[in-house]
Amino acid sequence: MTYHNLLFVLAVFFALWAVTAKKLLTSAIMLALLSVTVSLIFFDLGAPWAGVFELSVCAGLITVLFIGAVSLIRSDEEKHPEGRARFYALPLALAAFGIAAWFYLPPFLEELASWRRMAAGTTTLGLAIWDLRRPDLLGQILMLASGVFVIKSVFPRRTEK
Amino acid sequence: MSVFAMDWYLIGLLFFVGFYCMLASRSIVRQLIGLEIISKAAMLTVISAGALTANLVLAQALLITMIVIEVVVVAAGLALLVKTFRVNGNADIWRLDSLKG
Repeated sequence: MTYHNLLFVLAVFFALWAVTAKKLLTSAIMLALLSVTVSLIFFDLGAPWAGVFELSVCAGLITVLFIGAVSLIRSDEEKHPEGRARFYALPLALAAFGIAAWFYLPPFLEELASWRRMAAGTTTLGLAIWDLRRPDLLGQILMLASGVFVIKSVFPRRTEK
Repeated sequence: MSVFAMDWYLIGLLFFVGFYCMLASRSIVRQLIGLEIISKAAMLTVISAGALTANLVLAQALLITMIVIEVVVVAAGLALLVKTFRVNGNADIWRLDSLKG
């Protein structure tokens, strides 16, 4: 098994652990490890910028957000733990899905890969972001602004009457 | 099986784990964790397709947009979780029925 496939298997393993973990904190940490693995896959596929963004934003910022939220609701989680039976069935369901997919999915995926059209020319990432996909940047800025607005409207300033 | 078909098969497994988590769980945090796992699978698919067609530059530009959207969705979801927890005292999606007619 190559390093490349090993990283994918590791990603599935961390995802499985994140879902089946009993404590939410463990889930959040396993999600961070999943992000690190995914960013290593990006580096391996030759996409360093995507890897850096994934590592800093998903493994860093989102983990901090998750751990903050989990620490706020931890008391309730300890008082009323969720039923675990359905999560312990997950490895079994995954194995069943994996075996079924092993027989039915590869022909479809091979056909999908045969439809590829090679890219015409090579550009740099800076050119792609700042020239070709400039509307995306506007969309991202609007998206961030709407996120800030959502958080502001969820936690309104309390007015004294 | 070619390298890309094997990658996509494992991405399919990753997607299934996230999907199962969103189906089986009643906690808002676990719903968001499932959503994260599914979006990781989608990101891996985008970059893998970019590597397949030798078009990694555009794939990375698209992925940066995806990451920004994902952060906003997770931040808004966790803000709603904290608000729901303060109002209801729990984080169970089945108790989010105060708007039910």
